[in-house]
Amino acid sequence: MKYQIVIAGFGGQGVVFLVKVLALCAGNRDIPFLGTENHGMSQRGGAVSCDIKVGEFTNPVIDNGQADLIIGLDPNETLRNLHLLKKDAYVVSNSDRLFPELPFRVTLVDGNAKALAGEFPIQGLNAYMLGVALASVENFPFSVEEVETALRQINAKVADQNIAIVHQAMGEVEGRK
Amino acid sequence: MKQTLMGNDAIAWGLVHANVDMVSGYPGTPSSEILGTIQKIKQQLDLPIYAEWATNEKVGFEVAYAGAIAGKRTAATMKQVGLNVASDALMSASYIGNLGGMLLIAADDPGFHSSQTEQDSRVFAKFARIPVLDPATPQDAYDMTRYGVELSERFQVPVMLRPVMRVDHAREIIEMDAETHFVPNEGKFRRDIARWAGVPRAGRLRQGHEVLERIETIKAYNWDHHLKEKFEALKGGKLLILASGTGYAFTLETLADLGLEADVVKIEMPYPLPTEEIKPFFDRYEKILVIEEPYPLIEEDLAHPKLYGKKTGTMHAIDEMKKEHILVALQKLGIYTGENIYEVPRLDLGFDVPDRPPALCPGCPHRDIYYAIMKVFKKNKSIYPSDIGCYTLALSQGAIDSILCMGASVAMASGFSIADPSKTVVATIGDGTFFHSGIPPLLNAVYQNHRFILIILDNSTIAMTGRQGTPERFHQSIDIAKIVEGMGIKCYEHTYSHEMQENIDFMKYIKSEFEKPEHQGPLVVRVRQFCILDNERRDDWIPNLFAEVDPEKCVACDSCTTVYKCPPMAYNADGKIEIDPFLCAGCGGCLDVVCPTDAFQLDTIKSKEVGV
Repeated sequence: MKYQIVIAGFGGQGVVFLVKVLALCAGNRDIPFLGTENHGMSQRGGAVSCDIKVGEFTNPVIDNGQADLIIGLDPNETLRNLHLLKKDAYVVSNSDRLFPELPFRVTLVDGNAKALAGEFPIQGLNAYMLGVALASVENFPFSVEEVETALRQINAKVADQNIAIVHQAMGEVEGRK
Repeated sequence: MKQTLMGNDAIAWGLVHANVDMVSGYPGTPSSEILGTIQKIKQQLDLPIYAEWATNEKVGFEVAYAGAIAGKRTAATMKQVGLNVASDALMSASYIGNLGGMLLIAADDPGFHSSQTEQDSRVFAKFARIPVLDPATPQDAYDMTRYGVELSERFQVPVMLRPVMRVDHAREIIEMDAETHFVPNEGKFRRDIARWAGVPRAGRLRQGHEVLERIETIKAYNWDHHLKEKFEALKGGKLLILASGTGYAFTLETLADLGLEADVVKIEMPYPLPTEEIKPFFDRYEKILVIEEPYPLIEEDLAHPKLYGKKTGTMHAIDEMKKEHILVALQKLGIYTGENIYEVPRLDLGFDVPDRPPALCPGCPHRDIYYAIMKVFKKNKSIYPSDIGCYTLALSQGAIDSILCMGASVAMASGFSIADPSKTVVATIGDGTFFHSGIPPLLNAVYQNHRFILIILDNSTIAMTGRQGTPERFHQSIDIAKIVEGMGIKCYEHTYSHEMQENIDFMKYIKSEFEKPEHQGPLVVRVRQFCILDNERRDDWIPNLFAEVDPEKCVACDSCTTVYKCPPMAYNADGKIEIDPFLCAGCGGCLDVVCPTDAFQLDTIKSKEVGV
């Protein structure tokens, strides 16, 4: 298997947390994993993107036109990284607005509005978008069970809440289909 | 045992599994996590390891180096520009050598992600005539860390490990020892004055000859143990690729992506390179391409008419490695004739995605202090030298005129005050940077009576690199005010207030003090602050006053988005400023003064929820 994922957002949204979750998923199944983080000097609020390469790769950076999927926690950060996607790649993004017509398979959810409405705490936005990806990306490399295991390994204390948010997102996407 | 590790964590485990007893250094991206991880491992496994930050890289190197002289296994960690600071010690350490193994870890940052230069520490290793190892991946970093410590002990000279950001901050599932059986090394200083205190000319000349002999021995070792087998297996053909570090990792993937085959030799130790052994193998090939970053070190050492790389314009000359650079090089060499698969058609979104330039965190007190400085010391009558740290991000507020290197703000304030006395020089420096290298230039300013204002922004942490401790934080006896007073001058004190007017009033007072005819020399201010990400201290400082905008009052004048620059503030679809409730930290800094029409008001509901 070779699968390349970009996760984009800004500092403080928990982008790197998702990288750790997916790294654990790969490790548990004993398939190779390489990843890297791109961020400037900002601690909070600056653009952050992470490259994840699952399978036989030797360097951690995703080049233009190579990624199979982008999970975006912020609409502008999703749009900023579209050049990394291959044709027909999946775009899963938090967004308060529609995107223009794109040559990708796009799923948009207004996560901020849901958090504001109290549907989940904003700290769970990353888990929510992971759930959206699990439900809407056909060939997503990991199963929901694998994600649950990884969430328990990474932080047992908040695992139940995160797993609930993942399922909530999956249910809502299924409901829309 | 398989483990998912970031490169820096892999290096930390490598040091522990190499029985390294002492680790010192100074934080700097991308190296910072190495020492922090060792501290965690030490605590978890209760290991007898000294793992402590030093006040700067030179001090850190010297602590570790003395340990290695006394027979301990040691390491010093720093970023590439930190090695500039430690270089004085390194150059002599190469002459003198060590008994216990010493690994110097210098993390490079090709692509200028968070560094002021793109310098190549491998070149520094050559300058110092010490061997350097160049890992390609986190797995390499773990293996080479262990190997480097052994190598240093074998040849009795410091060995450099040179990971780049794409190794330090890469994550990989690596294979490492499942168990830690830490065996401490005995520290026993053996007096050998001729060696440890060699003086010019006779002592150092003798050691200089030893350096040359040693590097020839290591060169031969590099050939025998790393390269001979690989070169002798080469069958010849159109192209041979010599790749070092990440260059190797990127090369393999590019060849696979393009469906090409070429002989690739991985150079693990790019210096000292056994060039005379390598060159005869070039006869078997039409062309040889060197892929390395950021400088053409191997290419320069091998200097051969068949050799291509950065110097021939075949590879990119500056900025980070990309597979596309390798593809283009293969096109230039006539090896690849297909299309550029990394070139994607430009997507026309019909609008530009707004930039998200680096900014201070929401709730960061630096923003308010800079705002107050600029309000009182007007831009057209002032010069603002600043320094390296989070506060560098106040650049976006227009509050900084110069940045050079760690600690430079103080001496540059001296220089500007001499060169352009018509302006008031207001320099800013953080507490970490002041301890690192701000004290000697302040001594010089007092000594030479240079007239400027120095504002020390004291948040009691090295914030930008991950909130490492400062000397003052752990030893209250180390007090910036006392250091300043020890120079015979007053240290003016201010405590950051979330009420902007108080910060402005204090700056007005400083201006009047500075302008008094009897005032001489530098005027030093220490502002006590906090870091919004510092969980131990932030709750004592943050008033939980969340802001919202009265849209009736907002006239879209841009002053908050250009002068105050807090990330939650942005225009909404109605053309009014709106505050992102998820980003607002509740510092209350914008509630007064910042908005000329007073549109920022307290979000009473949210402020109450959080518990005012």
